[in-house]
Amino acid sequence: MAIYLRPASLKAALSTLAQASGKGRSAHPLTVLAGGTDIYPTRAGKQAWLESFPRDFLDITQIPQLRGIRRDGRAILIGAATTWTDIVAARLPPAFDALKQAALQIGGLQIQNRGTLGGNIVNASPAADGVPPLLALDAEVDIASVRGERSVPLASFIRGNRQTGLARDELVVAIRLPGHRASSRSLFLKLGARSHLVISIVSVAMLLDQGADGTIADIRITVGAASAVPTRLAALEAELRGERLDASLIERVTPGLFSVLTPLDDVRASSHYRRAAARILVRRALANFMEPQVEEVAA
Amino acid sequence: MAPYIGTATSRIDGIAKVTGAAKYAAEFNVPGLLHGSVVTSTIAKGRITRLDTSAAMRVKGVIDVLTHENRPPMADNDQAYKDDVAPPGSPFRPLYDDKIKFNLQPIALVVAETSEVARFAASLVTVEYEEVAHVTDIFAARDAAVPIKPPASPVGFTPPKARGQPNRALARAAVRHEGEYYVPIEHHNPMELYGATVIHESDGKLTVYDKTQGVQNVQRYLCGVFGMKPEGVRVLSPFVGGAFGSGLRPQFEAVLAVLAARALERSVRVVLTRPQMYALGYRPAMVQRIALGADADGTLDAIAHDAVTATSQFEEYFRQETGWSGLLYKCANAKYEHKLARLDLPTSCDMRAPSAPTALFALESAMDELAVALELDPLELRLRCYSERDQNHDRPFSSKALRECYRQGAEAFGWNKRNGAPRSMRDGSELVGWGMATGIWEALQMPITVRIALTANGSAEVACATSDIGTGTYTIMAQVAADMLGLPLENISIKLGDSTLPNSPVEGGSWIAASVSNGIATTVAAVRNELLELAKKVPNSPLANAAPDEVKLADGMIVDERDGSRSVSIADAMRHGGVERIEQEETTNPTADDSRARNTHSAVFAEVKIDEEIGVIRVTRVVSAIAGGRVLNTKTASSQILGSVVWGIGMALHEETLIDHKLGRVMNANIAEYHVPVNADVHDIKVIFVHEHDDSNPLGVKGLGEIGIIGVAPAIANAVYHATGKRVRDLPITLDKLHP
Ligand SMILES: Cc1cc2nc3c(=O)[nH]c(=O)nc-3n(C[C@H](O)[C@H](O)[C@H](O)COP(=O)(O)OP(=O)(O)OC[C@H]3O[C@@H](n4cnc5c(N)ncnc54)[C@H](O)[C@@H]3O)c2cc1C
Repeated sequence: MAIYLRPASLKAALSTLAQASGKGRSAHPLTVLAGGTDIYPTRAGKQAWLESFPRDFLDITQIPQLRGIRRDGRAILIGAATTWTDIVAARLPPAFDALKQAALQIGGLQIQNRGTLGGNIVNASPAADGVPPLLALDAEVDIASVRGERSVPLASFIRGNRQTGLARDELVVAIRLPGHRASSRSLFLKLGARSHLVISIVSVAMLLDQGADGTIADIRITVGAASAVPTRLAALEAELRGERLDASLIERVTPGLFSVLTPLDDVRASSHYRRAAARILVRRALANFMEPQVEEVAA
Repeated sequence: MAPYIGTATSRIDGIAKVTGAAKYAAEFNVPGLLHGSVVTSTIAKGRITRLDTSAAMRVKGVIDVLTHENRPPMADNDQAYKDDVAPPGSPFRPLYDDKIKFNLQPIALVVAETSEVARFAASLVTVEYEEVAHVTDIFAARDAAVPIKPPASPVGFTPPKARGQPNRALARAAVRHEGEYYVPIEHHNPMELYGATVIHESDGKLTVYDKTQGVQNVQRYLCGVFGMKPEGVRVLSPFVGGAFGSGLRPQFEAVLAVLAARALERSVRVVLTRPQMYALGYRPAMVQRIALGADADGTLDAIAHDAVTATSQFEEYFRQETGWSGLLYKCANAKYEHKLARLDLPTSCDMRAPSAPTALFALESAMDELAVALELDPLELRLRCYSERDQNHDRPFSSKALRECYRQGAEAFGWNKRNGAPRSMRDGSELVGWGMATGIWEALQMPITVRIALTANGSAEVACATSDIGTGTYTIMAQVAADMLGLPLENISIKLGDSTLPNSPVEGGSWIAASVSNGIATTVAAVRNELLELAKKVPNSPLANAAPDEVKLADGMIVDERDGSRSVSIADAMRHGGVERIEQEETTNPTADDSRARNTHSAVFAEVKIDEEIGVIRVTRVVSAIAGGRVLNTKTASSQILGSVVWGIGMALHEETLIDHKLGRVMNANIAEYHVPVNADVHDIKVIFVHEHDDSNPLGVKGLGEIGIIGVAPAIANAVYHATGKRVRDLPITLDKLHP
């Protein structure tokens, strides 16, 4: 039967991973286990089909440096095994509001207590709610293995539906959020078929930095669940950057700027609906920044 | 002593439930208990050609793997597998042979020392099949659907006979509405997983703890399937964590656990996984066509109601899907047709108010559409068509306070402030819609036997083999017994959920409250008579000349009803007679009088607020006004209605069993993807019980377990129409259906 390992140090974890990815170590693939909230449903799904899910597990939740949030120069580092509940509780600048709002809408409290940021990005679901806010923050992924360390932009780390650029012997150590302005604000809107405990039909994260003159100094807009990988709307961002933040901007959020999205037709919603809803949520997010006193969140 | 009947008495089993002292079927333990894990088919139809259990057998801790090839003997005729509530046909036989009749069908049971080992080893069983083409889509089977045969048994269901000249009436109607309505398959999803713990006693007898709504049904069924003597099997189900109809028929967890216990002569537990529970019954998908014709003033003149519902290839499950309008609306001309579509799925089964929520989704949506066509307030239309008689059988109702439901419900809701025009009401950026619908269900009573044992110290035990499926049966039994025996509630103990207790039907059809409460009344009368005989023998008895129906039991006394000062204490009467314990057992049969229709009714009013751009619907208010006869316990009764309304919200907006028709398999066989409302989807719900006197049984009880769900989905769908101007005729009303 499966082997269950729970190393207490990163070094031990990495060497175990290195050995397992080498030849002839074990019959079962060694799988990194954080909160298990994606792995468990995957396994249950397989079992329902009489498919076994033979895995050895490397539990990373006892490695101290993988959990927690800290500064690294101008960047903020979030350990890969940091839970959503940790993120909600942390004191973070307004640029992270979107990430906190996403954290509060991931599953229920029990899932938020177990589920981790690292698990969410490595699982690489198109509907992963943590990803749009992180893409809006220009997140980078810190990766380690016995071969060394590397850092890659999240945008290129996730390569497709449930595909990442992680090698067999590598571990995600942290998510690195490079410098952001103190004046940046952010927002996350999630749309699902019920008001909670639901896989997103579409989600939007928006980060906005308004210059002293009232114009948009920087804006980043990401749409989740409407493409294989949550997608930044670069053309729309370019369209809005440098403009005055006022009601006239809403009209400039035109359907053509959403053509990069490739939403699916599935049981959760039609592709047509997803595309339309993405645009509506983006417009609402933008409108929300015009009325900072009003907190509006999609149901 | 204040009466308990009619009060908000808290559940007498509440503390046991919240502290975990209440044990459910899969929680009973004995040393050496083995654990079974079920292996299920991955095809929908065909034959097993090879079943390799060798890898599973090699796992340490595995005791055996039972399949159709090595199982102990089971009955070989349909009759043995027919349970008390089986529909016509040839019941499914678990692990019987190599035939696959539906996806997720149990095909092997791995028995091991721990549940973890059993589950792991189950994943190592490999199966090869010879597949045959299957059909799981009701729309694909619709054209081949056949009209249901009139049932042989009188309790069967059949569409009512046509009346008048419906075709002609439809053709000449000034205003007509015709529409097709669809409700998908829904699954019960009770919180408690299906499980059975079978204890192999030292004398070879079996004690079976099973999750069921009918212990005696399961007991008889197991005796039939395994050719066991009745005294060799005892079935218990002291607590049930919800069942909603899925536990009316014996389910395969009990068969598999008994099979293993007999094969291995050991105690065995089998618990199904959540996905495996999607291989139990379900509410059948239903396609309906309704045509209504009316005069310009709203007088209904013609109704045609056709339904196609789904069943399996081997049994014919159906209920009263088409006849409800004959009870609700006065209409001289009507016709009904009900066809069954056979699918390669398990047999559909009862789910809370079987047939009515689905049938009334169509009927009450159609009535709303007719009201729109007539430019009439939908409530006004219903009042104009109000029926004082059951037109299906041309007879009056035993009671029908539906008019009062409409009145009180409308008033509590504020219906008179409704602007009838669609899209006319707003709250900020949201569209507001108000809709209403009617509900109707049966008020049934069944034969039941109740035993009461009264001891001289003033405590009583009330016993009956019924179940409490979470509805509050323990509590209402205690309330009724306490009031009638004149004892404090805490002196009453209730025994139920045990096949050795006096006879009870399964707990379903909303009939247990009426059956068991009147059953208690009958047995109490026998206890009272015996007490009176004893009381008369007390020296200088003040009751020497009293007749049985002139005395009652109150405050621990036998009291002359005409003169309260004439009384003898129960304790004295028993002590003087040298009796420590009085035990009576009586069977109560419901009245055989068929001259009146017996139904419960409801009026449901719903408010929705809709985010117009993206179609997000919130059901912000529901008022449910119920006419359900005498309410025994306002607290548990309200809970029944509240839970039903929540389920109705789910039916309207969320619930749908999705089948991949290529694979013939449920895609969302788990409660993450089979959506029901979460707490945040449920807002203000108000329950009103209108006064309704009914003399069909001495206590005037009608039953409230099911009426609450009926009418909720159409009330919401009608509100959605009112808010948006968009009519959704296929449930659930998902966001994208409202999108342009
Ligand atoms: C009921 C329920 C509701 C949910 N609701 C939502 C929701 O609303 N929104 C949403 O986005 N998600 C949701 N999820 C999915 C899940 O909770 C999240 O994606 C969560 O963040 C996953 O984290 P985890 O630590 O549990 O991952 P795990 O299951 O432990 O791991 C997921 C994957 O990541 C890998 N992995 C984990 N950590 C690392 C690491 N440091 N380095 C390398 N690989 C790693 C694992 O090997 C595995 O492949 C839900 C899940 C459940 C069960």
